[in-house]
Amino acid sequence: MTKHGLVIDQERCIGCQACAVSCKQENNVPMGQFWNRVLTEGGEKMDTPSGGYPEDGGSGSLDMQYQPTACQHCENAPCVKVCPVNATYTRDDGIVEIDYDKCIGCRYCMAACPYNARVFNWDEPEHMPEEGTGDVEARPQGVVEKCTFCSHRVDEGLDPACVVNCPADARIFGDLDDESSTVSKYIDKYETDQLLEDRGTDPNTYYISGEMSPGRPQTSDKMESELDDVSPWSDGDDDVPSKEADSAGGESSGSSHSVEGGEIPYATPAKSGGDD
Amino acid sequence: MAAKTGSSRVAIPSFGGKGKLWIGLLVALMAAGIAAWGYQLTTGLIATGMRNVFSWGLYIMMFVLFVGLSAGGLIISSAPKFFHSHRYEGFARLGVLVSLACIIVAGLLILPDIGRPGRIYQFFTSPDFRSPMVWDFGIVLLYGLLNLWYLWLLTRRDLAARGSALALGFKDTEAGRERDRTLMFWTAAVALPTAVALHSVTGWIFATQVGRGDWFSPLVAPVFIAKALVSGLGLLLVVSVLADRYTNFEVDREELTSLGKILGIFLAFHVVYLLAAERLPHAWADHFEFWAIMSNFLIGDSVYFWLWTVVGGAVPLAMLALPPLRKRVSVIFTASVLAVVGTMFEGIRLVFTGYEVANIDSAPGISLGGEYTGITTDIWATAGAYTPTLVEIAVTLGIIAFGAFIVTLGLKYVPIQRVDAEPSYATDGGKQDQ
Repeated sequence: MTKHGLVIDQERCIGCQACAVSCKQENNVPMGQFWNRVLTEGGEKMDTPSGGYPEDGGSGSLDMQYQPTACQHCENAPCVKVCPVNATYTRDDGIVEIDYDKCIGCRYCMAACPYNARVFNWDEPEHMPEEGTGDVEARPQGVVEKCTFCSHRVDEGLDPACVVNCPADARIFGDLDDESSTVSKYIDKYETDQLLEDRGTDPNTYYISGEMSPGRPQTSDKMESELDDVSPWSDGDDDVPSKEADSAGGESSGSSHSVEGGEIPYATPAKSGGDD
Repeated sequence: MAAKTGSSRVAIPSFGGKGKLWIGLLVALMAAGIAAWGYQLTTGLIATGMRNVFSWGLYIMMFVLFVGLSAGGLIISSAPKFFHSHRYEGFARLGVLVSLACIIVAGLLILPDIGRPGRIYQFFTSPDFRSPMVWDFGIVLLYGLLNLWYLWLLTRRDLAARGSALALGFKDTEAGRERDRTLMFWTAAVALPTAVALHSVTGWIFATQVGRGDWFSPLVAPVFIAKALVSGLGLLLVVSVLADRYTNFEVDREELTSLGKILGIFLAFHVVYLLAAERLPHAWADHFEFWAIMSNFLIGDSVYFWLWTVVGGAVPLAMLALPPLRKRVSVIFTASVLAVVGTMFEGIRLVFTGYEVANIDSAPGISLGGEYTGITTDIWATAGAYTPTLVEIAVTLGIIAFGAFIVTLGLKYVPIQRVDAEPSYATDGGKQDQ
């Protein structure tokens, strides 16, 4: 079985909002709504740290971290269990999705979601430009919508838009049931948390903090499993990519990262944890 | 139609000037409610004060209140029947009528809360039986039908005796009355557990949710039962005093005083005991010093808390407990009004505790999905706030007016009171006091 999951490396995240914006664009998310938000863990406002500046007797305790937050695609998803009409359901591959034809707009799922990941179309959704953006049909007024892990892309063997467009390679998408996938390996190797773990929702989204991971292993917009070689990440030292370029498709092919040696090819050497 | 026939009578033989004014007021409120709902249907729920961060509002708060209010009448009329007692017989029919009106109001309040009411048939075509809302949908429907059946069962022989078409062809025969008494017992036997299920399931809509603060508490269902007893009995007393004053319905003073005492007991159990039981463990666990524990135990944090516990709890409790006061009809009436109002604020508070604090409240927060007047200037909020709009208030008042309209029609067309000395349990061979 496949169980899609997302690993977000908070040490790599630079808070650029590219994931939030590309999500909004790809999924045609209406004005005033966000499926994916980059939250600042720190000060009162966005992009501000908590603590004091290390000058003039300040405490020097400035601290800040970014927490990109969207639907966590929980295993034990409360939103799925509360939906009276089976509009919100879990796909066989673990993605929690909404059937907008069934949704009656009761918003029980919004009450159920501890992450406030869901948004409701309170009025006629407005798009900029008017004809909409991206590859997903607009949802009508009166339904609840949310992140789908870009299931329309995943079904075609592509990573979610937020993953592909992350310039810091801080987002890694893959199969949690596959032990050799990068997400599984990172969860195994690095210190990861699920948001609000104590609620027992068991999200399929994991956050790395502490030590920085090497990040997303390829520059193609394809999923790891769709690449001809996943070698740099699949195994240890001796598993070297055989081809320089992704052979499958012209337009989407980027060169795979070649490995210089070691199992962590392009981890930023300058830094191992802490805050910028 | 004559006001009195045989051993039963309707409360309103015909509408006088005041009665017509009352009907006019209700019709006006209903019309305003329909207009407001029409406006909301065209603009969307953006016309309400709800937003992504606070996604349930007045409709759900009032749904909770009216589900509770529908308890009192049915319990007061069915509990004695179940135990083959004649107590509170004078309230039996009025009680079921009020229950019926309240459950209809509760059910209707859900409609304007639904984003796409046209899809509500999905409850039948695609139900998920894990959802507490599906259970609640079923039990509200069942409870409404049960009330309707019970009211008709209680009155159909009298309706027949009066020649009313509402008897649906039933005849007023001795054997029929005997059989109905058996049916009443069994209906009462079904009604009591159904009422318990209704309030528990409505409580579980909230109590099952891990993401909304105090909602996730096993105490919520028992608290819903308790507040249904308080507010339901409170409303029944309010309506019966009003009916006694403005219609031919006559309240038995002794029974009224007795029910007032019972309301006091319910209040003590609910507002004093259950609330204390709910608050003490948290206050104790979260604080170290004795006085810190005590103050967190005793002192609430929101205005709704005080409106509920003092105005809707301590004050009516004192009124109903003090011997020189508790026999006065005006005191019982006021205490009952306060108990209902207090329960309303309890429901409001429950919804607020779920939404006012976000579990993850880092900046910029939650996108709102629309303007959030007076709270933020942009599309983000890190905490929930809610004020109902005029549209919501108009729709809600319209639906409540419809409930009052049902009660009024019931007082007009259903023989709400038996006037023989031994109420409907006696084999009333035409014993006529009046």
